[in-house]
Amino acid sequence: MVVIRFIFDSVREMFRGPREYWMWLLALSLVVLFGAWRYSEQITEGLVVTGMSDQVSWGFYISNFAFLVGIAAAAVLLVIPAYIFDRKDVKDVVLVGEGMAVAAVTMAILFVIVDLGRPDRLWHMIPGIGRFHWPVSLLAWDVLVLSVYFLLNLAIPFYVLYSRYRGKEPNFRLYFPFVVIAMFWAISIHTVTAFLFSANPARPFWHTALLGPRFIASAFASGPALIIITLQIIRKLTSYHVSQTVIDLLALIMTTALQISLFFVGAELFTDFYNEGAHAASIHYLFFGLGGFSSLKAWIWFALALNLTALVILMIHPLRQRTVMLNIACVMTFIGIWIEKGMGLVIPGFVPTPLGEIFEYAPTSVELSVAAGIWAFGILVFTLVAKAVIAIEQGKLSCPPEEQRYTL
Amino acid sequence: MSNNTGSGNGGGKFDQARRNFLRGIGIGTAAAVAQPAWGGQTFQDTFADFFQKDYRRMSVDEIEAALERIERKAEARYDVEIDCQNTPPQPGVVYGYAINISRCKGYRDCVHACVKENNLGRDSQMQYIRVLEMDQGDFNLEHSDHYYEPETVPVEGKHYLPVQCMQCDDPPCVKACPVEATWMEPDGIVVVDYDWCIGCRYCMAACPYWARHFNWTVPEIPAEEMNTNTHYLGNRPRPRGVVEKCHFCIHRTRKGQQPACMEACPTGSRIFGNLLDPDSAIRYVLANKQVFRLKEDLGTEPKFWYFSD
Amino acid sequence: MNSVFLQCVVGVICLILLPAQAQETPDSQQPLRFEGYPGVPEFEVVPRKDELFFYPCGQCHEAMEPNPEIRTLNTMHDAEIEHGRGRIWCLSCHNLENRNYLNTLLKELVDFDEAHLVCGGCHANRHEDWYFGAHGKRVANWQGERTLYNCTHCHNPHSPAIKARAPKPAPPVRAGLKLEPGIKHERSAVWDAQEEHEEQ
Ligand code: SF4
Ligand code: SF4
Repeated sequence: MVVIRFIFDSVREMFRGPREYWMWLLALSLVVLFGAWRYSEQITEGLVVTGMSDQVSWGFYISNFAFLVGIAAAAVLLVIPAYIFDRKDVKDVVLVGEGMAVAAVTMAILFVIVDLGRPDRLWHMIPGIGRFHWPVSLLAWDVLVLSVYFLLNLAIPFYVLYSRYRGKEPNFRLYFPFVVIAMFWAISIHTVTAFLFSANPARPFWHTALLGPRFIASAFASGPALIIITLQIIRKLTSYHVSQTVIDLLALIMTTALQISLFFVGAELFTDFYNEGAHAASIHYLFFGLGGFSSLKAWIWFALALNLTALVILMIHPLRQRTVMLNIACVMTFIGIWIEKGMGLVIPGFVPTPLGEIFEYAPTSVELSVAAGIWAFGILVFTLVAKAVIAIEQGKLSCPPEEQRYTL
Repeated sequence: MSNNTGSGNGGGKFDQARRNFLRGIGIGTAAAVAQPAWGGQTFQDTFADFFQKDYRRMSVDEIEAALERIERKAEARYDVEIDCQNTPPQPGVVYGYAINISRCKGYRDCVHACVKENNLGRDSQMQYIRVLEMDQGDFNLEHSDHYYEPETVPVEGKHYLPVQCMQCDDPPCVKACPVEATWMEPDGIVVVDYDWCIGCRYCMAACPYWARHFNWTVPEIPAEEMNTNTHYLGNRPRPRGVVEKCHFCIHRTRKGQQPACMEACPTGSRIFGNLLDPDSAIRYVLANKQVFRLKEDLGTEPKFWYFSD
Repeated sequence: MNSVFLQCVVGVICLILLPAQAQETPDSQQPLRFEGYPGVPEFEVVPRKDELFFYPCGQCHEAMEPNPEIRTLNTMHDAEIEHGRGRIWCLSCHNLENRNYLNTLLKELVDFDEAHLVCGGCHANRHEDWYFGAHGKRVANWQGERTLYNCTHCHNPHSPAIKARAPKPAPPVRAGLKLEPGIKHERSAVWDAQEEHEEQ
């Protein structure tokens, strides 16, 4: 069967490459293994090895989760120009974007799983044999939308690549409906993730209608930042053609999204601080500290500084068009949003607690190691997928019709 | 929701298969039952534990079996013979609680009685009740002190506010749970099935009263301090990695006894009873005192009132 | 209602209540039994007499001349009565003629087991709350037989305010973490202003 040969060929392609490529895979695997080893510690000891407490019951894991869902959603920024506006240059790289979405969703799901107290009971979520509290629980929603998004981002590229592999053009009519679904789905995964937080009146810091839009805006800033850098790396390391127009387009989107994102942050700050009520305690803790505790203060100001500097760079055309400056802005945005939407969003929701207690959180080495392992795993997944995608897109990997006759 | 019927059917089939499988294992390992393995548990128990359904879908027999496993596990883990029961809710009873905050002196007797009664982990250091100390004239929880430790209480110029699970009538924690491991019983108590909870802690984020607590580690209880009168939905020994909370002493109150915190309160600040009984003390309080509830604006409809006189 | 309780009630009712001035033979008197407010659920009171150290008081007082003069006692009883801010003294509550009984302000005899009837003479609102369960403590259960602690179980009638005492230990934080000291608890600025004003 051609499908089996396709999969076989792709996998073989994934593990074919120069020595540096192998070293890269090896290095990533080592980090993954290290993370897995530290995770085993968490499995045997319990979540007591993390820095989380009853006071701050979610920490570094869920912070990364929230951020990564955004990265996954940002793939839509390539999907829309590619399939809806039919831009040839974007179409060339859209599969890379979807590969990134797959990797990001994988990481996001892994981050949720390592955060569970009882991962052995995951099957309780399976409808039928378990109890899936859908549509009431927002977490059930999130699991649902993430899994479907994951499947969509596997299925569409699979079909497109498979067609290429067989030397055919993919049937636009066949996959277009799925592309449209995937588009809306991308927005939905991040909206649902935002709603997961904003649905809680118990946590005034999250309980704002602005959280959904804020999530989308910051995702559309950090996502393109990552894509821009990745595309440049691909351009550098492979012979794959990445058009500069794609990067320009993404840079423009990113500029706008970052502007909107910062505007939203400003709106939050104004609303909370103009007439500072009890509901502003969390944001006060985040930006200025509370009751003598201020471990996030330096981070959030750092993030804000990064984002603002990046914005300035991006808004000045001559600067943005210089690759080096653009890259600096991308790195800044990525880190800035990672702090702001990760720890900067999740932790203050818990400080102070609903009973007004101030108790701080800091990730332990186990949490950091496990997180590093998951990131490495995501990068590994992306590397492998991208490797195969590029080979097929370049036509290096194919099974022309005349050969298909001989393949079962 | 179609989801529900679907899960019902699927559950049935799965059930049958599981029962058959278990029977097979049962025969196969009948000889091995006595041999402790798998961390003091038999393989059979471990297996049955893993595939145990959630409380509300277990048949009477399955609950019986689960209770026996719980007792065996406690014996293996803590070396105590406990009695784990499944007392059902009383018809026509919905519990309500009220605290007279002008009587509360901040002794924390309730807190520690609760720890003992409910087999709360002594090393994991969990407590269901928090007593907040606030300045008189101030009712801002963010100004409260949870860790007050003066020579004597009450301190002049301070007042005290005990907080625990409010058994909300519209509980956000129940809505949050992705696997329906927590729900409201017919007598109004919001319970957790510790064997079904996956430990995601979303309910902890959702609770506006900081009433939910997580077993970060295996709760350790000295054998001689173990309360052997337990309930499946209440104070039975809990596994690690799941959430728990105040359950109005379900093992006591369903048998007509007072919750341990009420019994322990030396000042008689706590008033507990059946909200559906017009002659109950709690109804008298609601009718005759100026009561309020914490964070009523959140729409959680707590069944826990405060008043002062 | 169990039979013990019935017997108590019958026994109490058998003691005939007489106006104070007509008291002659104590044993034939009927101490007050306030039947309370309409709708009070049935209850019994935890007996108190067997916990009293000096009871029956008549043991000594029978041999003594009753002295109705208001004065400070320098005997084995509490000299200071931290109750009523000087408006009451021993015989406001203890019966002059029959020391084995208390009495109300109207000099109605009250059994020591029914001390709440004395307290209720002044603290009528509390007393009403107590009947209905909103004040005081109920023994053991919330359902079924209702047994109430007497006022005097918790309040020393000679010094009824609940005394300050050490609290039980403060809550710990979860195993493996520690509480950072030095949380600065803010409070409403109004109170700071008030304090400053008082200092000036
Ligand atoms: S107080 Fe918290 S835990 Fe208790 S029922 Fe309400 S939301 Fe749930
Ligand atoms: S921690 Fe347990 S009870 Fe709470 S939401 Fe998650 S699965 Fe449900």
